[in-house]
Amino acid sequence: MSQLSLRNLSKSYGAFTVFDGLNLEADAGEIIVVFGGSGTGKTILLRLIAGVEDQTSGTVELNGEDMTDVPPERRNVGMAFQNFALFPHMSARENIAAPLRAKSASESALNAGIDRVSKLLKIDRVLGHAPRELSNGQKQRTSLARALAAEPKFLLLDDPLRNVDAKLRYEMRLELPRLLRQSGATVLYVTQDYKEAMALADRIAVLQGGKFVQVATPQDIYEKPATLQVARLFGDPVINTLDVTLQAQGKGAAADVAGYKISIPGNVQSHVSKTVVLAMRPDAVTLNTSKSGVKATVMAITPLNERTVLLLQAENGWEFLASLSAAAETPKAGSTVTAHFESSDIHLFDKETGERLHG
Amino acid sequence: MTAPAAPAPSQKQSRFMRKALPYFLSLPALLMCIGILIPFITAVYYSMLRFRLNLPAMKGFIWFQNYIGFFTDPKFWNTLKISLIYAILTVVVELLLGLLIAILLQKRTWLNNSLSIVLLLPLMTAPALAALMWKLMTNPNFGILSYFVSLLGFPDMKWGSDPSTALFTVTLVDVWVYTPFMMILLLAGLRSLPPAPFEAAALDGVPRSFVFFRITLPMLMPYILTATLFRLLDSIQQFDIIYAMTQGGPGDTLLVFQVQAYLDFFQATNVGRSAALMIILWAITYALSNVFIKQWLKLREKAHGVA
Amino acid sequence: MDHTSTLEKIIRGVLLTLVVIFFMFPIFWIFLMSFQTNESILRIPPSLAFTPTFDNYFALVTGEMRTAAGSLKIEFMRNLWNSVLLSTISVALSLVLGIPAAYAFARFKFKLGEDIAFTLLSFRFAPPLLVLLPLSLYFKTLGLTNTYIGLIWVYQLICLPLILWIVRGYFEDLSPDIEHAHRIAGYGWFATFWKIALPLARPGIAAAGLLAFIFAWNNFVFALVLASADKQPVTVGALAFVTASGIQYGQIAAAIVLSVLPTFVLALFAQRYLVEGLSLGAVKG
Repeated sequence: MSQLSLRNLSKSYGAFTVFDGLNLEADAGEIIVVFGGSGTGKTILLRLIAGVEDQTSGTVELNGEDMTDVPPERRNVGMAFQNFALFPHMSARENIAAPLRAKSASESALNAGIDRVSKLLKIDRVLGHAPRELSNGQKQRTSLARALAAEPKFLLLDDPLRNVDAKLRYEMRLELPRLLRQSGATVLYVTQDYKEAMALADRIAVLQGGKFVQVATPQDIYEKPATLQVARLFGDPVINTLDVTLQAQGKGAAADVAGYKISIPGNVQSHVSKTVVLAMRPDAVTLNTSKSGVKATVMAITPLNERTVLLLQAENGWEFLASLSAAAETPKAGSTVTAHFESSDIHLFDKETGERLHG
Repeated sequence: MTAPAAPAPSQKQSRFMRKALPYFLSLPALLMCIGILIPFITAVYYSMLRFRLNLPAMKGFIWFQNYIGFFTDPKFWNTLKISLIYAILTVVVELLLGLLIAILLQKRTWLNNSLSIVLLLPLMTAPALAALMWKLMTNPNFGILSYFVSLLGFPDMKWGSDPSTALFTVTLVDVWVYTPFMMILLLAGLRSLPPAPFEAAALDGVPRSFVFFRITLPMLMPYILTATLFRLLDSIQQFDIIYAMTQGGPGDTLLVFQVQAYLDFFQATNVGRSAALMIILWAITYALSNVFIKQWLKLREKAHGVA
Repeated sequence: MDHTSTLEKIIRGVLLTLVVIFFMFPIFWIFLMSFQTNESILRIPPSLAFTPTFDNYFALVTGEMRTAAGSLKIEFMRNLWNSVLLSTISVALSLVLGIPAAYAFARFKFKLGEDIAFTLLSFRFAPPLLVLLPLSLYFKTLGLTNTYIGLIWVYQLICLPLILWIVRGYFEDLSPDIEHAHRIAGYGWFATFWKIALPLARPGIAAAGLLAFIFAWNNFVFALVLASADKQPVTVGALAFVTASGIQYGQIAAAIVLSVLPTFVLALFAQRYLVEGLSLGAVKG
């Protein structure tokens, strides 16, 4: 039985619907990242689960129990807020102690609990400080420590790395998975940074337009995005797209991509002679191999992390990106190349709905 | 999938209790409201009675006779006139003077900040006591102000006891007490104005008078409106200063609404007329306060940010 | 960027001096008067040269006034005590009634809430005699005439709206997330109200309380209508004292000084919050 389930969960404020009919099942100890842009209601979702706000309809079940009308203090959840929400009039130590005291822990258990999380999060030196004396990073760690202190069964983390600087975010991204695993809690982690989502999640739930458009492992999200939107959201540089008209090819279908005829995998015959959106990731593109491909001119070259990103223009004017590994040979700007990609790298989406068309 | 187990009853919190909580929290204040609403309704009822405490036998319901009587009652028109003159005169003087002082103190220097605090002291003085202070200073026998004006060639100024100077005298006290209120609100307003337009105007060499009338004043307008309406609401109901200074006299010179109603009630014991007067004053203040509250809410939202 | 010319500086200086003289002179003069004998007060022309005496204060404190006609009882200390009692208890009661309501209005959006809040606010602007005159008849029936309880009750008209609206503003400025975090940490709403909301709104509560105290202290008309001599605060008492003492001007001045002193001192403590309080939270100082 799943530990956390959302059933038909809906929330609206008057006529404004934040989300409508969310369903999700999370297993014990699973880390689910809720991913979505700002204003998609991710934070509100966490508030509903924590019980500080009421849903309009549907249920939140924790441990198989319907949580409707169960106040937040009895839900056994821990939550870290994007703005940290530390108690400004209490020291870091007292902040962390609050959930332990609520459980009426003995003095020794209290000290042990504070000791454990503060060492874990490396804030044992600043426990005596008031929140206003802490750096943003320390505040963020204190708020995490407070969420973890009482060893809740459920952890709700609301974009905890949003308000910390890039370096710390990078460190925490490495550190957090171990930390969350160790806690053993079922985690709902909200972010709008796809790399964070990929790094932390067992599964990612993509929240868009008031719905989960896809709930899947990071690998599946990347390799089989359920919608064009999801495909665009995950991956940097952004996925290449082109409108194509499918042609019949034997039992299957094929497309003409700027003069490069490529067969389309999967069962897509029903879409033959319709216009669809073809997409492929920039890192699927290889240049100047012996294989056929799109003839294109190199327009611009930009290094990005360990890779090199090329802006290419096909003869028909279509511009697309190629992301080459450092090992690959980089052509000169202005030169003409043949850009190859495999059938298996192709994603096909409906032009109207943006939904994925093949398996 | 198994159906979710019902949670232990102890986990649940009664939805009724949760919904009732805010009402429960505000109930004591609500009861206070009700306690005050009853005399208010009584006042409306009294205003439709022929009701004199000294003639209990004549008591009777006369609908709007008290109000209709006002139309042909020169005493009433005098009350209305004096109240309006008093309110407008004091508020205009206080606004202009308060604005001037606020502009003088606008820069955040140590001296200006200290002065703005010290200048609040008149506002912290009970208006009734302020009237008493000025009474001592305008005493024809030994008052320091009487002495000063005698040096200026007015040896027999009677201040509050002369019909020709009574209004001037109480206005002076009102201005002394309440100008700091205007000053402190407008000062806060001035200091909260964004500096960018002023810097731009200074760079472009825009004349100072233009800056004041075309930039400062319009931007300050919400504060001016709030402060003015606030004062107008208070001033049209002024009682303390006038009562303490002259008890509405000499003659009928200063019989503003509340003083007149007080005298009707306690001297003439005409409860019906007194109540009717108060209802009319209430109608005026109610209309004003609706305008005011709108203005006040706007400013309040700005002060607390849009949450 | 200081282009102010010398002329402008002079005008500014002169204007400010005039302003300070106008607003400070009465306080200064009454203060001086309170240390003078009647003889030195009555001198023409008035003079700053006099031998200060504490007789006026002494007479007020001991409650005995010696006149040519003999000795007269002064109830002024009683008035002072009444003021302290009425203002303190009224403010305390207002805080007890007002803070939970302010919290409810700030945190829970409920329909009746705004109505109650605005009704209370409208009391602030209604003519006091409208309610006081019928109330004076009711009080007779209820036996509340000339009682502290009756006065404290009507003093809520002054204190409650002030406290409600100022404290509400402070609660609204607190991030609700802080309270949510505390609830999630395992505490009920009351513990959260008590341990989080109240301590964090304390500056606002203190400011509202001080201001409400000043307004209650300065009130005149409530006690004038509803109380007799033995329950009257200084504002009413001082006026009666003028009639009673006749020509004891030094003592009147001393009584005024004693009466305004508490509000002056409190105002200096609360000056940071005065703007916000005076505008019922509409303007931040």
